[in-house]
Amino acid sequence: MAERRRAEIEAKKAKLEALRKARADRQRAENERRQTEVPSASVAARREVDDLVNSLVGSRGLDSGGDVTPSSSMPGTPPRQSALFYGTSALSPSGRVSRQSDVGSDRISMGTTMIATANSGTEHVIERTLTPRFVPDLIDVEQELFELPQRERVIYNKEVQTTAVEVETAEISIEDIRQQLQRERERELEADRTVREKELEEESIQLDKEIEQEIRELSEEERTSILIAPEFLDFVEQSSKIVQRALNDGYDYIRDYTVGTETNGQVLFHLPDDSEGKRVKRICAFYDERYGKNRSITDIDWSPKYPELSVASYNKNPAALNEPDGIVAVWNLHLLERPEFVFHSQSDVLSVTCSPFHSNLVFGGTYSGQILLWDTRSKHLPVLKTPLSAAGHTHPVYAMRMVGTQNAHNLITSSTDGTVCSWLVDMLAQPQETLELIHAGHNKTGEVAITTLDFPDNETTTFWVGTEEGNVYQANRYDRAGAKAGLNQHDIYKGHAGPVMGLHFHPLVGPVDFSDLFLTASVDWTVKLWRAKSLAKPSTTAQTIPPIYSFDEADDYVYDAKWHPAHPAVFGTANGSGKFELWNLNNDTEVSAVTTNVGTGRAINKLEWDRKDGRRVALGCSDGKLYIYDIGDIAIPRESEWTDLQKTIAGMVSNSSQTNGVVDGDATRIIAGR
Amino acid sequence: MPAELEQTLSMLSAHRSVLGYILLSRGEQVSIIRHSGVVFEGDQGKKYAAVIRRIVESVQTGLEEDSIRFMRIRTKRHELMISPDQRYLLAVLHDPAI
Repeated sequence: MAERRRAEIEAKKAKLEALRKARADRQRAENERRQTEVPSASVAARREVDDLVNSLVGSRGLDSGGDVTPSSSMPGTPPRQSALFYGTSALSPSGRVSRQSDVGSDRISMGTTMIATANSGTEHVIERTLTPRFVPDLIDVEQELFELPQRERVIYNKEVQTTAVEVETAEISIEDIRQQLQRERERELEADRTVREKELEEESIQLDKEIEQEIRELSEEERTSILIAPEFLDFVEQSSKIVQRALNDGYDYIRDYTVGTETNGQVLFHLPDDSEGKRVKRICAFYDERYGKNRSITDIDWSPKYPELSVASYNKNPAALNEPDGIVAVWNLHLLERPEFVFHSQSDVLSVTCSPFHSNLVFGGTYSGQILLWDTRSKHLPVLKTPLSAAGHTHPVYAMRMVGTQNAHNLITSSTDGTVCSWLVDMLAQPQETLELIHAGHNKTGEVAITTLDFPDNETTTFWVGTEEGNVYQANRYDRAGAKAGLNQHDIYKGHAGPVMGLHFHPLVGPVDFSDLFLTASVDWTVKLWRAKSLAKPSTTAQTIPPIYSFDEADDYVYDAKWHPAHPAVFGTANGSGKFELWNLNNDTEVSAVTTNVGTGRAINKLEWDRKDGRRVALGCSDGKLYIYDIGDIAIPRESEWTDLQKTIAGMVSNSSQTNGVVDGDATRIIAGR
Repeated sequence: MPAELEQTLSMLSAHRSVLGYILLSRGEQVSIIRHSGVVFEGDQGKKYAAVIRRIVESVQTGLEEDSIRFMRIRTKRHELMISPDQRYLLAVLHDPAI
């Protein structure tokens, strides 16, 4: 393309040259023309005069110019001379003219045959006009006269040396005007030409610039060097994320609603369906081929600051030995194809929490007992790690919670050996405090294998743990009046026949306080509702506390149960056959309100409601996919829900108290027997 | 070519509405680092590159203290998304009607 441009420029330059040459030629031609123009103008003028004279005098045939002309310029010739002289004198006025051109003089000589009565030169013209024509008789008289030598007449040739000024005045002005016009035209042409030249020059300059600016092809080494540069990789990561988010938008904002399309037959809106309110819709499924394959999701959390971000932790991919064992992925609802961030870990990540006080920090607890801290501002690797020493955990950390306020907060972690550690966020080198939960009355070993842990809302010093044996215990972080730090030996929340997989306290929201209710989900196919014993009256004797209610509908292990953040009577459960069940206690306590099959039937490991208003729920499956579901209107509580729930709970309590007596007795007997 | 880069770019061009992308390096001489899609092949791609470069530059001269973060040019048929950087530029052409 460069060559073409250059050729164009060359062509243009050639054209420029041609124009210039043409201009020069034209100028030359004009000069020549100017020189020949005067004679031609004068010739034309001459002809007019000739015609005039001829019409007046008559034509006598051309006398040879040679006889007449020599004497023509002689004014005032002696009258003795023959009529020839008269003729010649008559020629005198025209003699002047004949000087200019022979042609004219020939013509005028015709008029000299006229006999003029007067001698004066000036009168001849007049007399010529007055006297009638007649042909005189010429008498040959031979006399010897003094012969005057013939004067040599110098004839001027055609070559014009005089300017047009010598032409008669009328013609001069015409000439002048014509020449002036000529000059102006030339000036205009000149001006045009200079302008054109300038334009051409500018264009060639522009073309030169464009040639310089033209897209250059990269050489191979340059390309490889760019492709390896880390800033280039960063740039591609970032800009491709932005582009993909924009691509995911889907709404065509220049859509013109006034244009009717042919496919109008399809109804674009659907009638409100009664069943719609009951159904639960899938928004999307986050899955990354590279990081999700062969892995299961072990924990989920939503970002407290950005409601579109959710975090999922993954365990090991046994097939890929080169990939990191533990992955944490941050997913964005607006970017469906790939995670926003991916964090690596050396061992399986079993629990994950977003820090509510720092929007870019993510904590993870691993299979090895390490607690890792990742920062979204950094890359894949953790920015802080706890040491693999006896100070921290040495067993898998399945549960983590962040408690406290902005200025004073702690991360509480628990592992399956009964250790509960409290950490300061910026100091992960050693735990702030360690707590060993030991149950003295246990039949085999003292330790309590914690699978799950939760704090009631507004509590930071006392928490409940679910264990592998199916009991739920209450524990204190610190000594307080009437209670020691550590496990509360006396109260056992006994009810489950298998490991407790999930424990969740009712969130404190709304006019009525239900925050002493908690749900547990267990491998024994049930979900149970409990009321936590009040701390005001610590018990001194062993006591088993039965659940208020048991939800037995499931047909597989129930892996998680979580209260809804906005609606007091709604909670969701996730079970091992891929079912997500939504319960509304005010409607029905026996049967779930909505049951949805999520995914391909693989187990759902974790369930997490989104923090804002609970419209969405994240479900983490063991096939590595994170499903986001929208539950629609069920999430919106009415005013009466709280009081309704109170009644429901009261009803449940009274029902269960009828059967409680037997259970209590059994429990105490069992404990006493140890 | 690092594998992650490959994967990212191929994921980008595999999107259902994307017709192609082009990666340019900015600076004195604009050069095409990589491109994909029929739209950006050969001469046409070079033309696109020149046009994009001029567009970004002319918009940048209009901004005084600001700098361009992202540009979406919606034409009747397509949408061109340009994400410029100090040194590089990614432009993606896609058809929003699909």
